[in-house]
Amino acid sequence: MLALDCLGGCPLPKSNASLLQGTLDMLILKALSLGALHGYGVGQRIAQISGDALKVEEGSLYPGLYRLEQRGLIESEWDVSENNQRAKFYKLTRAGRKQLIIEEQNWERLASATIKALRAM
Amino acid sequence: MFLIKATKRFICAWRRPDEMVHEVETELRFHIEMRTRANIEKGMRSDDAQRAALQSFGDFERVRDNCCEIRRSLPFDSTLLRMGLHITMAVVAGLAALWAVNVPHHNFTGVMRQLMAITVLTYLFIVVRRARSKRRHNGEHVNGVLANKSLTSDMSDAPSAKIPAYDEQGRTPVERVFKS
Repeated sequence: MLALDCLGGCPLPKSNASLLQGTLDMLILKALSLGALHGYGVGQRIAQISGDALKVEEGSLYPGLYRLEQRGLIESEWDVSENNQRAKFYKLTRAGRKQLIIEEQNWERLASATIKALRAM
Repeated sequence: MFLIKATKRFICAWRRPDEMVHEVETELRFHIEMRTRANIEKGMRSDDAQRAALQSFGDFERVRDNCCEIRRSLPFDSTLLRMGLHITMAVVAGLAALWAVNVPHHNFTGVMRQLMAITVLTYLFIVVRRARSKRRHNGEHVNGVLANKSLTSDMSDAPSAKIPAYDEQGRTPVERVFKS
């Protein structure tokens, strides 16, 4: 799934990482919202936009991509990569863009509610 | 548009499974190759870089099978489709039955037609029975599982536990709970 590393390099406990199971789809959508990418590029971009704090387990990225494509949130086409190899590039569909907005709003609501609850005395 | 594309993909996946597997493998191999290159750029030796890339990727075959399974699944909830299919089958069976009753059976052609109708009915009966028993065996329909899976991105499948109908003392699971 998502392997979490804090900036100091110490991995978070597995229980914390499992909390992020549902967020992989959202992160993939977010990564693709910045432009079309192949599977490897998606993983790289997620790491990049999270400041290397989030690293997607490489194997689990692809079923995620296939599921999103199956749901019509992303679409793919074969093209030539930067090193002249045949690669499958994914890009967001209109439905995917809408879904990303919804997911972002949900996530922000959840995060702010959790912070509020934690700060309550 | 999406449904047309997805249905086309679904049909291709069933019609040409080898091609689909090849496509998935090509994509996954590309990933491993890119990771290997990145490892080499970091200063690793070629062999070590490839080994590390394979290791960080995880179980290649499992990922491939997982992707293929997703590709082979219907892109929408198939409950309505299945319902439509069952209704069509029931209508066909009814028409066949009506035909069989009304066809005169005093000549050879009539008897042959009746036999044909009986064959169709039997076949439909077997298909329905098989579908029902399969669904009962699985406990839930295939697309339901996929829909649930799509909510999370966890690849690990829940371990399936088989509960025997009777234990060594001849008690059912319910009896075991209440008598223990």
